[in-house]
Amino acid sequence: MADLSQQARFETLADQLSACADALHRRLMAALRKPVPAGSPPAIPQGVAQALFENEVALRQRANALYLDAAVVAASGLAVHQQALLELTARAQQKIDKIDRIKDLVDVAAELLALGAALAGGKPDKVLSPLEKLKHHLDAL
Amino acid sequence: MKLSRLFFILGLLAILSGCASSTPRMADVRAFAAEAPKLGAYHELTERYRNTYQREQPYLSPEADARERQLDLRRQQACDDFVKLQYGLQAYMQTLGTLAGDKQYDLEDQVKNLGGGIKAWPGSGLEERHVNAYAGLTRLVARGLTRQLQENAVNDLLRDGQQPVQEVLDAMRTLLRLYDKSSDNEQHTVIGMLDSEMPFLDARRDRLLLALAKARQQDKQAEFRLIGLRYTLARQHLEEIAQQHRALVAQLPAQP
Repeated sequence: MADLSQQARFETLADQLSACADALHRRLMAALRKPVPAGSPPAIPQGVAQALFENEVALRQRANALYLDAAVVAASGLAVHQQALLELTARAQQKIDKIDRIKDLVDVAAELLALGAALAGGKPDKVLSPLEKLKHHLDAL
Repeated sequence: MKLSRLFFILGLLAILSGCASSTPRMADVRAFAAEAPKLGAYHELTERYRNTYQREQPYLSPEADARERQLDLRRQQACDDFVKLQYGLQAYMQTLGTLAGDKQYDLEDQVKNLGGGIKAWPGSGLEERHVNAYAGLTRLVARGLTRQLQENAVNDLLRDGQQPVQEVLDAMRTLLRLYDKSSDNEQHTVIGMLDSEMPFLDARRDRLLLALAKARQQDKQAEFRLIGLRYTLARQHLEEIAQQHRALVAQLPAQP
């Protein structure tokens, strides 16, 4: 669970940097929107505005790098569970194979029974077809 | 042919495996497995996160661009791992669905063949009621055998899967939350650039540029609003899948 707190630390720090960037942006926009006489440029020079915005972007990039760190921590240590899931799935696949064979077994049993019924009925000419069917089936298994 | 002996054996088998359980639970398991396509949203949003740099690039200063390129390298590498998170889960859900599937283990066809095979010889001393009893018993045996195996396999899978499934889902939800927050910063970087540059445009001289910038602003606002909704929805879906799995595990019979 140490990983969890580390992830939380990264994320909280990134949240704080993002909030700082938001505050910076609000200040910048307030300065840019300050009423000025019609036709004249905003109250702060473009170079200053750009430098301020550059800082804001740098803060957001730092925050996003921390979000990535947090994500990497969150996704790591899961390899064990990933492996467990894959192994589990492989094992179940084998079980499916087993059940499939029982299905075949029932098939074969049904054909055997049909053959038995044909013999019991004393109709030799009718025996041939179930016999062939069974033979094919066993060959196919 | 000792027909009575066959009946006896079939009857015995039917009794031995007579504890065939009901299927509503299997239907629940299938319903759970059918949710697997919802994991696709996680994949798409991971890919969107992966392409952050590409979308941001036109709005970045040369210095910011250099920093972002470095971040992008790390992001690309990490995303290779992030997308893999869902694969194990997807395989698990699909296997569960196949195991609990009703078609694969439906032996009705075989049983009907059997009934038909016997009916083909009327007047052989085999009466209709024999044939029916025969088919009925075989059906029971087939069901009893496969259904119990099926239930056991599904139960094992649910029991063993409990912890890994919840952990992986947890991680996926955390990643979606982090993508979402990262996306907020991308939004503010992109739209913020337009916001802070537009006041310096001259309404008459830069009319075309102003119009294009405003249109871009609107497009981007709509795009990020939509993406925000998709993050929320994808997280909800993962939460639902986690809850459904917990409910299935809670219904498991006590282990013998």
